[in-house]
Formats: sequence, C-alpha cells, structure tokens
Amino acid sequence: MDSAVLDRAAAGGAQAANAQIVIDRLSHTYRPAHGRPVLAIDDVSLTVGRREFLALLGPSGCGKSTLLYQLGGFLPTETGTITVDGKKVQGPGPDRGIVFQHFALFPWKTVRANVMYGLQRMSLPKAEQERRAQEFIDLVGLSGFEDSYPSQLSGGMKQRCAIARTLAIDPEILLMDEPFGALDAQTRHLMQTELLAIWNRSPKTVIFVTHDVQEAVYLAQRVAVMSARPGRIKAIIDLDFDRRDPHLTKSKAFVDKVDEIWELVRGEAIKAQAGKA
Amino acid sequence: MARINQGGAPMASPEHDSGQLPHFVRSFGWGVVAWLPVIILLVAWEVVARSGTVTPFMLPTLTRVFERMGSELVSGELPIAVGLTLWRALAGFVIAAVLGIALGLAMARNRFFYWFFDPIISVGFPIPKIAFLPILVLWLGFFDLSKITMIAFNTIFPVVTATIVGVYSVEKEIIWSARNLGTSERGMLWEILLPAAMPQIFTGLQVALPIALIVGVLTEMAMGGYGVGGSMQTASRMADSLGVFAGIFEIAVVGYVMVKLMAMLRRHLLRWHQESQEPTTV
Repeated sequence: MDSAVLDRAAAGGAQAANAQIVIDRLSHTYRPAHGRPVLAIDDVSLTVGRREFLALLGPSGCGKSTLLYQLGGFLPTETGTITVDGKKVQGPGPDRGIVFQHFALFPWKTVRANVMYGLQRMSLPKAEQERRAQEFIDLVGLSGFEDSYPSQLSGGMKQRCAIARTLAIDPEILLMDEPFGALDAQTRHLMQTELLAIWNRSPKTVIFVTHDVQEAVYLAQRVAVMSARPGRIKAIIDLDFDRRDPHLTKSKAFVDKVDEIWELVRGEAIKAQAGKA
Repeated sequence: MARINQGGAPMASPEHDSGQLPHFVRSFGWGVVAWLPVIILLVAWEVVARSGTVTPFMLPTLTRVFERMGSELVSGELPIAVGLTLWRALAGFVIAAVLGIALGLAMARNRFFYWFFDPIISVGFPIPKIAFLPILVLWLGFFDLSKITMIAFNTIFPVVTATIVGVYSVEKEIIWSARNLGTSERGMLWEILLPAAMPQIFTGLQVALPIALIVGVLTEMAMGGYGVGGSMQTASRMADSLGVFAGIFEIAVVGYVMVKLMAMLRRHLLRWHQESQEPTTV
C-alpha cells in the first residue's frame, strides 16, 4: 500500500511539468532538550504543482505542521531535500508566505503597520507601499480598521489581517498552518469562501494544513492524507469540484468524498489518540 | 448637551433621573471609598496624637506635621530636599533602565553573555546591595556619584530579569513571521523582540522605580547631606520628630506620584496591550 502510494506520488510529480515544490524522501526528528527524540516525519515525498491548492490532512501531532515549517525554512532539513523552483530550501524567504493558526500578528502595530511591515522591507517607494497595504486591507475586508490594534479585533479579523500581511509581499507560495482552526464555525466558513475567492483572483500555490476533512475537500484540488506519527503520506486524492456551486457541500459527490477521506483519516486519528494515551 | 444646559440647573439629564447621581459625584464618591482606609488611618493618627496617651515628641499631630511641611515649603527646604532625592533616584533609575535593558537583551540573545552573567545575576539579586555602601563611599566619595551608583546597582536586577523573561516569552510564530517578511538579524532585536517584550520590561521598570526611591533615601540617611533622607537623619539626631514625620510624608507623596505617573506612561505607551489598559494599583 505504502509503496504504491509513493509510486503514485512520484508519478504525479513526473506528470506535473510545472512542478514547483518537490519534497524528496524527507524525514525529521525532534530532539527535545529532555526526553527521547521523536520521529515526526518519516520518508515523505510529495510534489506540488504551480498554482495548485493542496491540503495536508492528518490527525493532530502527525507532523503536518512540521512539514510546513520545513517548507517555510523555519526548521532545518536534515534528511531528504525540499526544492522550490529547483532551488533547495535553506531558510525562510519572501517567496513562501506563511499564515499561522494563532495569527502571529505584531500586537504593538496597527492593522496598517502590520500589513506595511513586509512591504517596508522591499525596496518600494513609500507611496507604493501605502497603496499596496490599502489594497490588501480592502481585499480582506478590513477597511475602516486600519488604525486598530490586533487586541481590538475579533479572531476572524486578526486572521484577515495576517492573511493581508502575507499576501502583501506577494509570495508565490502560501503556506497555511490550520489558519481557520481557532475561529468559530461561521467565521471559518466565511473565511474559507473568501480564501477561495482570493485564490481564484490571483492563483498562488497554496499548501493548507488542516485536520478538518470537510475543509480540505472544500478548498483543495488535491488532498494529501498523512498517517499518525511518524507522519507519512498515506494517500493522495485528486478532487475536481466546481467550487462556485453554492450547494456544493450538500451534493452527494462532495459528501461521498468527505466520507471516503474521513475513512482514511479515522484510523489514523484513533492511532494518534492511542499513541497519546 | 445643549438641551441639558438650557434648564440652567446643574442636574443630571432626565434620562439619568432613575436615582442615579451625576457622573462626577459618583466618581468622586468612589474616590472617597477607595481612599477611605488611608483617611481612617490618618484620622486615627490625629485622634491618638491628641488623646494625650503619647507625647507629641513620640507622635506629633498630623496638623503640626502639615504645618511643618508648609513652612519647609515656604523656606525652600522641602523643594531642595525632595528635588535632590528625586534627581538621584531618577538618575539611578534611568542608568539602571538603560544598562539593564541592554544587558537583558544581550543575555537573551547571546549564549556567551547568558553564560557569563546568569550566575552573577542569580547570586547578586538576593544580596542586600546596600552592604556595598561603605566600599562605594571609599571608591566614589559620599556625594551624588556614590549614591546614584548605589541606586542603579540596586534597581538594575529586576530590569535585567524582566527583559530576559520578556524576550524569551516572545512567541516563535511572531519571530518566524518577522523572518518571513524579510526582517534582518539586527532588525529582529530592535523591530521585533524589544517591542514584543516591552510589557514585561515595563513591569520590571515599575518594580525598579520604587526601589530607586527607597535606596535613594537609604543612602541619604546613611551618608547625610542634603536630600529627604539626610534631612530626616539630621532631624532625628536633633530629636526633631516633627521633621522626621514630615520627611516620611514627603517620600510617601513623591513615591505615590512617581508610581502613578509610571502607570499612566504604561497605559499610553502600551495602549496596544490589553492587560496594560486595565486599572491597577501599581
């Protein structure tokens, strides 16, 4: 089963002439200062095409965030390689923007200053910085809150601000680490719809980490299901839904797909729970 | 607003008539309630002092203490003494703040600095630094330099530890976000870590400020000369209990005002920080 999946992943990579991200036989071990080392990711290979929306789905603690952090260059790559556009990832870069579950906004800066921050570090004229900051503040629907501090915003608004801050530096790749995981159900649904709208307007390569099967199926073109720790790619499922259809999530095809993938994840979630106990 | 004033009566608007007092009366009322324990204490003082159970030498009446402060104010003794004490305390505090934040940042960012200074700070924090006063006098004399050095020496410890804790508690996601958005290694310290750690650093400064005043008065008492501490010591030697109590009152008022100003500064500088906006006694 595993080798078949790997073959398929490799084949997918070969097919995709426009492959942008190539993860090759990546493993990662956490070495806590006290306690035994933990194998978080075990021999993961994955290819992501340019402008593809890929969801990384798996139970909590399966290493999907670790994989994302390595892609972002925040954690070192020890075994295996990650290449983006043929270049090895060796640290963070503005080509790969990241959005975290708990927003990671700069709390001492206003919404505008947060969005401006990355722009100020690019050699852009001041007027252009301001124009772009406003453009992305408007895009995520935060007009009127430019001078608010993050502590004055709701969770959904904070995440809108974080997304605007990341989009403003125009990364080719958007890494999202359970970005809607801390939001209430209604806000989460709204944000999912808006993310798709943004992605349709200016397609970027998106790697979206989540443990929510419905969210993965709703958003992604491809879902990579990860196993419980140590994280391996268990299956890759291609999806081809028309996401403009407002009744999509109620359609039989969609519900069946969610069930099918949930079956794959459930066993892993149970294993993950048992592993914790 | 205009509608209320038309009536000419300084009463609350009709909407507030449901037994509610005007806002300023209510806030004044709460102010009295909050200060009641202090007022009770002062009244008790006055009553005991007047009762004849203690001699005026042991405990002069409040009225006489205030009279004394009034005459010292007019003669210029009080402004000079308070001014000198404040200058020394604030000079020591500012030196400790600058050096303490710098050392804390260096220790939080650099393994060598941490390795070198961590045990020194750990041992030095609980030592009564005032014990170094005799040697400081020998080294630096008994004027401002030794006093200010002693104040800075005492106040630097809470600033250093608060800065280290502040930098260490910056979320890694914030650091990663900054790196992702193009922050340089040097920019990380000034643009990210320092502002992010500011609430904790400011707490350290708020702890340090009263210590600066306390140590300032202590050094003045030990070394004599001008200043509130020196005046109190002189008054004590001359069996002038009124002068001692006047000094205690002056220090209490100065300390209270300094602490309150610091809290106001915090609310202003850290207006982005929610907990900093909540009322506090510090």
